[in-house]
Amino acid sequence: MIKTAITEMFGVQYPIICGAMMWLCKPSLCAAVSNAGGIGNLTAANYETEEDFRAAIRETRRLTDKPFFVGITLLPSIRITAEHHRMYVRVSAEEKVAGIEFSGTPLDKVAGMEAVDLLKKAGVKLFHKVGAVRHALHAEKIGFDGVYAAGIEEGGHPLNDDVTTMILTPRMVESLTIPVVTVGGIANGRTMAAALALGAQGVMMASRFIATKECDVHDNIKQELIRRQEFDTVIYGKSIGLQGRGLKSRVIAEVLAIEERKGGFEELIPLLSGQKVKEAWETGDVDYAPLMVGQSIGLISDVPTCAELLRRMAAEAKEISAQAAKLCGN
Amino acid sequence: MKTRLTEMVGIKVPILLSGMSWISTPKMVAAVSNAGGLGILATGPLNSSQTREAIREIRKLTDKPFGANASLMFPGAAENAKVLLKEQVPVINFALGKGDWIVREAHKYGGKVFATVVNLKHAKRAQDFGTDAVIATGQEAAAHGEDVTSLVLIPHLAENLQIPVIGAGGFADGRGLAAALALGADGVAMGTRLMTTKESPLHENYKKLAQEKDVYDTLFSKRFDGILCRVMKTDAAKKAVKKGLSWPAAFFNSQDIARQMGVPYFKLFIGVLLSGYGNARQLAYMANAFKAIRVATENGDSQTGVLPVGQVQGLIHDQPTVAELFERIVKEAKAAQAKVDGALA
Repeated sequence: MIKTAITEMFGVQYPIICGAMMWLCKPSLCAAVSNAGGIGNLTAANYETEEDFRAAIRETRRLTDKPFFVGITLLPSIRITAEHHRMYVRVSAEEKVAGIEFSGTPLDKVAGMEAVDLLKKAGVKLFHKVGAVRHALHAEKIGFDGVYAAGIEEGGHPLNDDVTTMILTPRMVESLTIPVVTVGGIANGRTMAAALALGAQGVMMASRFIATKECDVHDNIKQELIRRQEFDTVIYGKSIGLQGRGLKSRVIAEVLAIEERKGGFEELIPLLSGQKVKEAWETGDVDYAPLMVGQSIGLISDVPTCAELLRRMAAEAKEISAQAAKLCGN
Repeated sequence: MKTRLTEMVGIKVPILLSGMSWISTPKMVAAVSNAGGLGILATGPLNSSQTREAIREIRKLTDKPFGANASLMFPGAAENAKVLLKEQVPVINFALGKGDWIVREAHKYGGKVFATVVNLKHAKRAQDFGTDAVIATGQEAAAHGEDVTSLVLIPHLAENLQIPVIGAGGFADGRGLAAALALGADGVAMGTRLMTTKESPLHENYKKLAQEKDVYDTLFSKRFDGILCRVMKTDAAKKAVKKGLSWPAAFFNSQDIARQMGVPYFKLFIGVLLSGYGNARQLAYMANAFKAIRVATENGDSQTGVLPVGQVQGLIHDQPTVAELFERIVKEAKAAQAKVDGALA
């Protein structure tokens, strides 16, 4: 049991939230995290139709009566359009989900303030994943309930301000009045305790949840995350204006080589296809597609259940905090 | 506060002054040690007789423990390290090279040796040859970090080493110190924060800039001094990074260095040539960087000067004395820690 603004807001045991992950954050993993006392994530872009998306929310509800988040990335893509974004917002409001993790463009710029109002009226708590204070202030201004402060160590698409968690979290905390959730580099009780010391009200993890029993991904992937170390991820995609952090692999080496010789978008697109990522998760071939994991993989050394993981993190944080209290002379 | 670091060297607050060229001077080192931390003298810009004088000056200014650094990649660093050993400096901090011989000699007089590292492999090697603690440099740090950030590097080292870990990169206040302790560190090193204090000899122009610039106002590139180096984002820094290595400039700047080291230029030149192309290129890069950092720190020149700073400059909003700063950091760390305890109770 931990008590922060996040646990109070959602009535959960631990301020540990699962981050959105394409192809992985589906009802089973989402419910497992929520049932374990954290907050799971159902990633909307896994579903292309309203029926499928609504069915996934309802299936998650069958698996857990605890709160969970929907993850919505507000970036244009070939498969997921602005129309999808509006549908996800409307269905989330109708289904009154506990909260939404937004990332990408601010919600009001994509769907207008009426989307914000609709969700707030439905009691949905709104969080935006940001990498800079200026973006966080915008979220606060339009009425969001909190922000995820995403440091450069995170897997996925960290902002090209390149600021690390150690600095971004306290910078956000001193600039905002809404709660800050730390993202990037979190994988155990130590890193969670550090985030709390920096002023965060919670932590969000994604890579760590891939290496859990409940994550529906090929076992090779889980074993690879245990084997690989904190220096085994790399930033790519700077040349096309959307940088990503992923596991070092043959395909990412190829991407970086194309970028080095200033090859264009067209050359890169086939290597970065989302469909191939889905296949890689299923077949366990880490060299087949970019797998977007963060530096926290250096801190992963086993495949526990979500319940074991969260219980252990809380116990570890408590023990570490007691030691640190002694060092501080408290 | 009481950690393995404070106990090992006999200091009151677990905070080190990073050895910054032209900033970590005898007066600054003494100010930090007198305030209860551990000052580290930067020997990079000094020749061996200047190093000896600096050590003696520190001893006149403080009776508290202090240290000195030796960046083994620089020409003249080994000679400086020998002076530190001869003068029996309490703590020697080596970086960018293998310091096993320093450990052997320092232990003979009861000195302690800290290794600056960026990964577990180097940290383990340092532990194996008897180093007393490691300083773990995260990506956010000023100057020479690598890709891994403090948040991930510190716990990884702390869990795999027996010797204490000192976090460097990202630390400017009590919240950061409390976070470092939670990650398993026994202390932190501060460069950017301490260079922005009343006692720091850094030129006022840059003290002001460090307070104005935000967390994202740094450049992290190999094109400044040949290895990954983080510097303040200014027009001069952008220009330097864009230009990369200039051999003609290196030819002139290395003559300054030879004069500084008190060796005939001919001897330095031949020595560098004999060390191979890769090394010569590296030293040429460093010769130019050396000049740019010097004019920034000493003259406050923001037209051609370049200053290494950490991302943490964005968390720095004032210019206290070192003693005021340490008092505040300890108070903040205790409060941050009490808050975490409250949340976890």
